[in-house]
Amino acid sequence: MTLLKANKITMQFGGLTAVSDFDLEIKNGEIIALIGPNGAGKTTAFNMITGVYKPTKGSIYLNDSDITGFRPDQITKKGIARTFQNIRLFKDLSVLDNVLIANHLNIKSSILEAALKLPRYKREERKMYEKSMELLKKVGLADLRDEKSSSLPYGKQRRLEIARALATEPKLLLLDEPAAGMNPKETEDLTLFIKQIRDEFDLTIFMIEHHMQVVMGISDRIYVFDYGVTIAQGTPYEIQNNQKVIEAYLGVSEDA
Amino acid sequence: MSLDILLQHLANGISQGSLYALIAIGYTMVYGILRLINFAHGEIFMMATYFAFFGIATFGMPWYVVFILAILLTGLLGMSAERVAYRPLRDAPKISILISAIGVSYLIQNLAIVLFSGRPKAFPQIEFFTRMFTVGNVRIQALTIVIPIVTAVLLAVLIYLINHTKNGIAMRAVAKDHETAKLMGIDVNKTIALTFGIGSMLAAVGGIMWGLKFPNILPTMGIMPGLKCFIAAVLGGIGSISGAVIGGFILGLGEILLVAFFQNLTGYRDAFAFVLLILILLFKPTGIMGEKISEKV
Amino acid sequence: MKNKKNIYTLISIALVILFLLLANSFFDSYQIRILNLCAIYVVLGLSMNLINGFTGLFSLGHAGFMAVGAYTTAILTMPIAAKEANYFMTPLVSPLNNMVWPFLPALIMGGLLSAVAAFIIGAPALRLKGDYLAIATLGFGEIIRILITNAQSLTNGALGLKSIPNTTNIWWSFGIAAATTVIMILLINSSYGRAFKAIREDEIAAENMGINLFKHKMLAFVIGAFFAGIGGGLLGNLLGTVDPNMFKFTLTFNILFVIVLGGMGSITGTIISAFIVTISMEVLRFLDAPINLGFITIPGITGMRMVVYSLLLIIVIIYFRQGLMGTREFSWDSVIALIKKAPFKKGGAK
Ligand SMILES: Nc1ncnc2c1ncn2[C@@H]1O[C@H](COP(=O)(O)OP(=O)(O)O)[C@@H](O)[C@H]1O
Ligand SMILES: [Mg+2]
Repeated sequence: MTLLKANKITMQFGGLTAVSDFDLEIKNGEIIALIGPNGAGKTTAFNMITGVYKPTKGSIYLNDSDITGFRPDQITKKGIARTFQNIRLFKDLSVLDNVLIANHLNIKSSILEAALKLPRYKREERKMYEKSMELLKKVGLADLRDEKSSSLPYGKQRRLEIARALATEPKLLLLDEPAAGMNPKETEDLTLFIKQIRDEFDLTIFMIEHHMQVVMGISDRIYVFDYGVTIAQGTPYEIQNNQKVIEAYLGVSEDA
Repeated sequence: MSLDILLQHLANGISQGSLYALIAIGYTMVYGILRLINFAHGEIFMMATYFAFFGIATFGMPWYVVFILAILLTGLLGMSAERVAYRPLRDAPKISILISAIGVSYLIQNLAIVLFSGRPKAFPQIEFFTRMFTVGNVRIQALTIVIPIVTAVLLAVLIYLINHTKNGIAMRAVAKDHETAKLMGIDVNKTIALTFGIGSMLAAVGGIMWGLKFPNILPTMGIMPGLKCFIAAVLGGIGSISGAVIGGFILGLGEILLVAFFQNLTGYRDAFAFVLLILILLFKPTGIMGEKISEKV
Repeated sequence: MKNKKNIYTLISIALVILFLLLANSFFDSYQIRILNLCAIYVVLGLSMNLINGFTGLFSLGHAGFMAVGAYTTAILTMPIAAKEANYFMTPLVSPLNNMVWPFLPALIMGGLLSAVAAFIIGAPALRLKGDYLAIATLGFGEIIRILITNAQSLTNGALGLKSIPNTTNIWWSFGIAAATTVIMILLINSSYGRAFKAIREDEIAAENMGINLFKHKMLAFVIGAFFAGIGGGLLGNLLGTVDPNMFKFTLTFNILFVIVLGGMGSITGTIISAFIVTISMEVLRFLDAPINLGFITIPGITGMRMVVYSLLLIIVIIYFRQGLMGTREFSWDSVIALIKKAPFKKGGAK
């Protein structure tokens, strides 16, 4: 079953076309990767899907319902969560608070009930707390719950950001360069971790990644961008042998 | 309303608009380069009138000498404010710089009260500017014509400076991107200081002509023109010099004509600018000449 | 341990009440007035801190909200005779002209109308960010003042209102300050409070975590305005007079100073700083007044006090950006740690 579908989405900034006519289809349970050189428009594609930017052209469907032009919070409520390329945690807040905040979108109590700690709110708060602690245990951050999130080491910040995204109970999780800045050991752990959360939370994953080790290891299919244009798509095997990709992408990285 | 009276109002509106434009340019230049509302700009404008006042009334110097000295002093004042209160906060959160700017504005205003007393002073009348002309049936003060001419000349000079001199190009580079400008060998701090200096000197010209036009000067006289000219800058598209000029004229003409046509709205004259601000922010937040910038995520 | 802390808290509250009882009978009316002002600044500071410190919106419209609260409370509580005396130019519109409300409902009405004003202002203004929001709210604050100046038959225009009943006393002001503090603490520590802080930390991340920015900004703005309105009401009925000039930007500046000094995002900081600022404002009044040294009188310099204040604001923001408390809060643990440490080492817990 198709979970997410994008029809020729295009994003222009002034004269620059960051993404042009991107066609995307993601099925339930898949792990899909998006690769391409720096500045190819990958993050911009994420930003269109999550509503941070409104596409200049084209439309996006989640479970066959049109979500083009929705606000980010509405899209998150519909079941798409994300992490950011340059980690955007709530820096001054604790690890636990970071995850608790991502539970807020489903709150039923009004602000009055919350301020007066009425029974319904107390019940909701307890549930949020339990759920958050469970998530933190799963990502191995439970002991650090009271630490300021910005004081965590880099790798743990990445994990926390994923935990925070999971707390919104997404169907589709978008990861923007989750392995960036990690050493080979950490990268390997992360690959396992991504598979593990996919199975455990019944997720579909769409990720941007540069580490070929991760990409080739876990993705079902890969899309390749160059200057905003989709130059290839297919299985890891197909992509590795695609002449255009080798020229545009791998060629560039050899030069660099 | 007869044609003569209409022309009279138009002339007033244009000269009021020119004054607003001169002050608005300072806001727009500083915002362009630092993304900061220089809350103290209105106070800098006010100080210029006092400098001129003391030069003439206390020291009895000829008015043209006084005006030049006052303009230079005001430029220095603007640069000192930047050096002391804004530069240390260059990497601080924006809200901190804004609070510092509010602090500077209050500091100057209250220093003026301490030094010059809170009571109004009468700006000296200078024959050259107060002479009356009669054009057809319309009687116009020389000042009403001088103001737009001075504004036009200064504007031409400024545009030349920005487009054709090294410092002007440095300013544009810093406005685009501090880091890149630094890498290109531009002295960012010096360029920012220069921007404050020029903006303040233009405000000084505005302040002196304001004093000639409305001779009742007060330490709090900078507040309203300050706010309004910021609005003019937003209206025209903040960061754009021609925008600031257009905004200044729309505001000046609008205010004068509003009061002329709807006399019962006189009490709301000061609200006009704010209503305009809210409308523009709602319908075209980038202003008339501004470019859209979206935050990179 | 938890029990022990509760006992400490109870003892502290009892001590505060005892102090207020003593103050009420031994302080002169000037000192009592300053105490009242301290409590009112607590309410005002907390209300602004909710908007600016906790939610990270830079709003400068506080004086406008206070004006709405102050006028509403004043008009509703003023005796009919006083109304007739005040509105001698243009009579007060019916039915307000022969309506007298008790203090509490009038205060709440003041808060509610101020909240309504915030809602109307927020609808366009909260779409803006940073300094644009600052200037727009400042503009709205001015518009409120201009409307008040011109609405003769409702507000008595530029003349203002005199002989407003002096209902505000120690119990009202401290009672409401305490209630505001409790509500703020509950609010800030609730899920909604966390959402406010998330917006302050990173709007884009917050929105991507499903937080409706506009709704939550509006909530913080409207609740902040509600308490600003109540603070304004307390102030009007403390001073006995209100006029449009009271609600100029200077008032907003004072409250801003309170929250910057206390720490944007700290309730404890705001409370401490409200006392420090209010009392020192009074103490520093000597700067403005003539000083009699017995043999010689130094003439007072009007404005000196505000010079000192603006200098302090600049110094605090440049050198002590976190203010007294940053985003930290009071807790018995830190006090106990401080006491334990004290005999060995000067200085305290961070
Ligand atoms: N908000 C924006 N305004 C202007 N240009 C942008 C914006 N966001 C991204 N871009 C530009 O779009 C292009 C693609 O950027 P991005 O999507 O971040 O690339 P990638 O994630 O593939 O490295 C870049 O040239 C970038 O500068
Ligand atoms: Mg990217």
